[in-house]
Amino acid sequence: MSFREKSAWIALVTYGVVFGGYFLVLFQNWQDSYGRFLSIGLLVGAVIALIVIATVLTIVAALLNPKEANAPADERETLIDLKAERIASYTLSVGVLLMIGALLLGWNPHLVANLLLAALVVSELVKAGAQIAYFRAGA
Amino acid sequence: MAIENEIRRLRFEHGEMTQAQLAERIGMTRQTVIAIEQNKYAPSLEAAFRIAHAFGAPLESVFRWKAD
Repeated sequence: MSFREKSAWIALVTYGVVFGGYFLVLFQNWQDSYGRFLSIGLLVGAVIALIVIATVLTIVAALLNPKEANAPADERETLIDLKAERIASYTLSVGVLLMIGALLLGWNPHLVANLLLAALVVSELVKAGAQIAYFRAGA
Repeated sequence: MAIENEIRRLRFEHGEMTQAQLAERIGMTRQTVIAIEQNKYAPSLEAAFRIAHAFGAPLESVFRWKAD
């Protein structure tokens, strides 16, 4: 497995675990005022956890294969990145458009803000998943 | 895929050059060489020339286009 495929797995697992936990805790404790207050602290904690876990795992992956980690992406890896980015951007666009509709329908802005965050997280998961699928398929 | 290649045979004929050695010579990852060799990925024109150059062979003896 190449360093960049490992990086995609790290992103998939990290985003999945950290934000899976974030949304689980948030929606289990969802009440208008309490939920709003809770989500700020939780979000800061989730972002810090995401950065720390992803950084540690990437360092470990780089130490296992320092030569590849230091090399620039080759043309196939760049192509895979672009293809995955395109799919992720469609996913995010759909999420944003749906949430604009939700706001116009008068949904709770706090809920919409968290659903927008969910759309961002899902688009990152889709990107990492697509990268892995393309790496496995060849391109 | 419409592009096929003779990389495996050429590696064998060049002292059993490994995929990693070829990857190093053309500035790509071993996984990309594997994908090209298995006809899963069609390289750019520049990469194709680099591969041909690594074997000291003309491009058309390394890659061929298979019409549908």
